[in-house]
Amino acid sequence: MLPFDFFRYTLKSVTAQRLRSLLTATGIAIGIGAVVLLTSLGEGLQQFVLAEFTQFGTNLISVNPGKVTTHGISGALISNVRPLTIEDARILKNIPQIIDTVSVVQGNAAIESGGRQRRTTIYGVDASAARVWRFEVAAGRFLPDDPPRAARSFVVLGSKVRRELFGSSQALGARVRIGGELFRVLGTMESKGQMLGFDLDDSVYIPTGKAMALFNRDSLMEINLLHSAGSSSTTVAEQVKKVLVARHGSEDFSITTQEKMLEVLGGVLDTLTFAVGAIGGISLLVGGVGILTIMSIAVNERTGEIGLLRAMGVERNQILALFLGEAVVLAAIGGLAGLGLGVGGSWLCSLLIPALPAHTSWSYAAAAELLAVVVGLLAGVLPARRAAALHPVEALRAE
Amino acid sequence: MRLRDILSFSIRAATANRGRVLLMLLAMAIGVGSVVVFISLGDSARNYVIDQFSSLGTDLLIVLPGRSETTGGPPPLLGETPRDLTLDDAMALSRARTVRRMAPIIAGSAPISVQGLEREMLVLGSSSELFAIRHLALSQGSFLPPGDLSRAESVCVIGLKGKKELFGSGPAIGRWLRIGDRRFRVIGILSSPGVSLGEDLGEIVIIPVAAAQSLFNASSLFRILVEAKNSAVIEPTRQAILEIIRQRHEGEDDITVITQDAVLTTFNRIFQALTLSVTGIAAISLVVAGIMIMNVMLVAVSNRRAEIGLLKAIGASRGQILGLFLAESTLLSTVGAAIGLVVALLGIRLAGILFPQFPLQLAPWSPAIAIAVALISGIAFGVLPAHRAANLEPALALARR
Amino acid sequence: MIQLRHIERVFMVGEEEVHALRDVSITAEAGEYIAIMGPSGSGKSSLLNILGLLDRPDSGAYELDGTLVSNLDEKQQAAIRMHKIGFVFQFFHLVPRLSAFDNVALPLVLSGVKPDERQTRVSTALAAFGLGNRARHRPDQLSGGQRQRVAIARATIMQPSVILADEPTGNLDRSSGIEVAEILEELNHQGMTLIMVTHDPDMGKRSRRQILMVDGRVEGGKGEDRSP
Repeated sequence: MLPFDFFRYTLKSVTAQRLRSLLTATGIAIGIGAVVLLTSLGEGLQQFVLAEFTQFGTNLISVNPGKVTTHGISGALISNVRPLTIEDARILKNIPQIIDTVSVVQGNAAIESGGRQRRTTIYGVDASAARVWRFEVAAGRFLPDDPPRAARSFVVLGSKVRRELFGSSQALGARVRIGGELFRVLGTMESKGQMLGFDLDDSVYIPTGKAMALFNRDSLMEINLLHSAGSSSTTVAEQVKKVLVARHGSEDFSITTQEKMLEVLGGVLDTLTFAVGAIGGISLLVGGVGILTIMSIAVNERTGEIGLLRAMGVERNQILALFLGEAVVLAAIGGLAGLGLGVGGSWLCSLLIPALPAHTSWSYAAAAELLAVVVGLLAGVLPARRAAALHPVEALRAE
Repeated sequence: MRLRDILSFSIRAATANRGRVLLMLLAMAIGVGSVVVFISLGDSARNYVIDQFSSLGTDLLIVLPGRSETTGGPPPLLGETPRDLTLDDAMALSRARTVRRMAPIIAGSAPISVQGLEREMLVLGSSSELFAIRHLALSQGSFLPPGDLSRAESVCVIGLKGKKELFGSGPAIGRWLRIGDRRFRVIGILSSPGVSLGEDLGEIVIIPVAAAQSLFNASSLFRILVEAKNSAVIEPTRQAILEIIRQRHEGEDDITVITQDAVLTTFNRIFQALTLSVTGIAAISLVVAGIMIMNVMLVAVSNRRAEIGLLKAIGASRGQILGLFLAESTLLSTVGAAIGLVVALLGIRLAGILFPQFPLQLAPWSPAIAIAVALISGIAFGVLPAHRAANLEPALALARR
Repeated sequence: MIQLRHIERVFMVGEEEVHALRDVSITAEAGEYIAIMGPSGSGKSSLLNILGLLDRPDSGAYELDGTLVSNLDEKQQAAIRMHKIGFVFQFFHLVPRLSAFDNVALPLVLSGVKPDERQTRVSTALAAFGLGNRARHRPDQLSGGQRQRVAIARATIMQPSVILADEPTGNLDRSSGIEVAEILEELNHQGMTLIMVTHDPDMGKRSRRQILMVDGRVEGGKGEDRSP
């Protein structure tokens, strides 16, 4: 049989029972659609998270006090007998590959202007924060590069704080009170939105030294390092470690490179995508059972036809191929429809929730289509073998 | 027609083709089984977490410094505030009428050493009441002594794992260890309940709060744990705490009080959403199974045209034929659902044996869900085939063999 | 009593109109034995379908035992088929997965008769048709003649007033055919109206009255036509 004729014959068989084939293919389509849509959402989530984490720039390394234990946040972040100091940050800046450092202290306090008050997150940072974290200043400018111990009382407001405190009136140059001390508003920030539930616009930035005084604290919570794009984060991290161990006498801090973090995060999200895709795959399994059922029925109904074909000299293997081909065609059509369903669905999703850009990875899509064909093959094997095993005489008698 | 006769007719019709029926049952069972398993997983995870919280006592309130403006947003779990939550604040709280116990907490990390062996561990500064509030248990010795909170006695209670790492299998009670630059005498060893709420109680050292203050050179408390007299007075207690602190902090509301209730509600919501979405994804397979049943029923209708014609000829009404075919599809989906339920139950039992630490159990309402799903899909996907059967022209149905 | 007045029935076959019945008027008294004869495609089966309420005429009236049944709704017609009409087909139309007993019991099951009453009525019927020892057999385990006897038992289990037989012997060998014809005639003797479609002249001759159909019309008949 010529491949073309083979294909036409199977296609005829599929279209002869239109409703039946439609429903069977629909089963596969829903399964593939679910897998494609879910993996697309997973992929989108991954890109979203990646974007969230890289919006503060790349090539970042953070140093925190205390060794990180297996269980989440280190107690050292709260209190520590061997603190991380501004001096540490200054020394780290001498490492050649390190472009900039940011010393961070974070806390919660009320900020007042005129009659208005708002409790918000206070970040004590260096002038370099705007560069390292890629912050855009909306008006005015960011904190000046004062010496840490003698920083002037300037504050830069997040967009939400500015709106809440000043409304439409001028904020630049105004004086605000934070924890009893007066600060002059030097600039306001562009809106950054939320990151993992934290409203970045609901925060203000003051010099690190001022924040330490405000919170009555003499150590840092974190040092952020920006290293040059050409350097390897692992090598830089090694150097940072060497410098700090030399200063502290032991490794009482932890270093997280952004690269490493993204790697771990990516791994977690990959697993998640796979798991969700697999749950969606249950539908595909059921769809496969559907093909199996319908193909068994088809073999039953077409016993006479099989007998006739055999009587005309068609070989067993060809009968096998015919029915397998039919199952595969059903599954492939369903798979294509499912692909459309999944891609369309994820497109719709990204339209409805712009924050979560569902992204169909074509490797997943191709894998899904391949999966559909494999499902068709597997589901087709049993009925096709039964068809091939039919004795021609008995098959003809069934007519 | 009697119900029993409808059922027996449908059973015979359905089972006339055994292989086909088995496949349909399989499809339905996979769908229902996975839905039940995922519901149960979500439900069990929820119960596990809620149990963990409830084991802290439902009368617990947690006071932390700082307050964020956005309601519903995350509380300021970390970070500093200009005005500390002090030991005096804490002691003021214990004077509220509805407060049964109170434990201040300072947390930090410090190197602990015994004769050259050094480990970085979580150090908790607290009081004797922490023992009752957190439902701790000792394997040896005694807990921190009650008394004046501002006295910095040099004693400590140590977690089981930490004890093994520092002292090996030898005795630890009465021995001295060094935390930072201070020396503490071990007076008790916790019996390890393992991990509780993300804190490894095995690797922990508990010292008097005043000792922790000087160790970390900080006057600010990290948390204050408050236990109300009973769960009915949680809200009054919360109000009382806010009022006391406001007075002490010159009229400023600069603390956050977290109640068990609020935390539980949040967790409940999260788990419900999670369970719902995972179950929803699994439920897609039910739709596929339903479509498959519809498909096979359509085949059955066309195969049994003559039979339907005959039934009409001997007086079966449209309604009766509709009923017979609906009964058949519903029967298939119900039996399939029942099989799925049983398989899910067995699977969950098996998982319970394999992972005894995670209390997995069948969600109590899952049989109801399985049955509802079966009935709905049996009817929804049976309607089209049944309609086709009922609408067959008897004369035509009989004429074509 | 059966009265057909000016029955018309038109089918669409593809694009073409086929006039299956043209102005057919027939009257049959209770207890009559009529053979409807004619070449294939002459409208015999269409007529039988109308008589059996399996099909509706496009125009004309059908009165059965004094009731105008052609205007009844679906459900009422089903009830008439159940209680007043028994069908016997050329290809038996037994439900293959049911035993002889269950096939005969089908009308009783459909009308909601209690199981113990079903038991006695079906057993009696099977015995009467010489099938007492075949109750548990499925149709494929029965001979053609036996199958048709099961079908007749089923057709008469509700004590109908009319038996409609469509080529009841067409699929049987000669001796079984005669046997079946005799059974039907015996039922006719007991008072049931018997209307039989056949193209077998020998069968036709056994009836007391023949109606000849050609091209959808009643072309004539022999025997005692008592219609006005």
